[in-house]
Amino acid sequence: MADIFSIVGSSLDAQGSRMDAIASNLANADSIAAPGTAPYRAHEVVFEAAPVGPTSDDGTGSSDPAANDPGVQVLGTVLSNAPPNMTYDPNSPYANAQGYVTGSNVSSVSQMVDLIDSSNSYSASVAVLQQADRVDQQILSSFQVS
Amino acid sequence: MQIGFLNLYGGVLNVRQERASLIADNIANADTPGYKAQDVQFQQALAAQLGDGPASGSAPLFRASDTVSLDGNDVSMDSERVEAAQNADQTEAAATFLHQSTADLITALHPNPAGN
Repeated sequence: MADIFSIVGSSLDAQGSRMDAIASNLANADSIAAPGTAPYRAHEVVFEAAPVGPTSDDGTGSSDPAANDPGVQVLGTVLSNAPPNMTYDPNSPYANAQGYVTGSNVSSVSQMVDLIDSSNSYSASVAVLQQADRVDQQILSSFQVS
Repeated sequence: MQIGFLNLYGGVLNVRQERASLIADNIANADTPGYKAQDVQFQQALAAQLGDGPASGSAPLFRASDTVSLDGNDVSMDSERVEAAQNADQTEAAATFLHQSTADLITALHPNPAGN
């Protein structure tokens, strides 16, 4: 069984890369593209359950079916297929023949919602970490015999 | 010599630790598409630990009660946090009982309670 610290570590890692992607999306929310070039598309991080930490045979011989406890890892990044934001600005040097400037397809609102969700997951993992630490201290002190 | 409470609390702490790992898994995978929350049934898992139940009792089962979201994930972050807090408190309780019982045993083993 993977220990709780590697699981929480994998979770913090994964949520960290998700927040990186959100930061990059928000930073590029107002990016525009010259005609003929590809505009910025929002990055979305996809997670998958994957075993973490050292291999599970801990030598106790108990063939524990729980031995394949998954942590989480980043499977990859997909680019959003939402249509790009077109703004009408015929004076811009980046305007196309119809006078529209092609922007990114990032929706700031949905990115902020995603950020809140990610931040909730992150703090839940940190709470589990603190709890596990407290319980470990308690168990260690219960082995102390005066 | 067989000391009953050591076996019992050893088993309890093992099951509690396994539950803590499963809950940490559930929280870590709260955003993983297709992930289903898992948990063990305490009674059966403890019986399996103590050797008087089927060894399969400690296998984690899927929580089947929660709402499944569109991406196939059924982790409820709130209930997982409640379970985590509850499990942590129960672990501490078991550790405290173990501590007290061990201290009592040590006292009983002293040839002279005055210590000299």
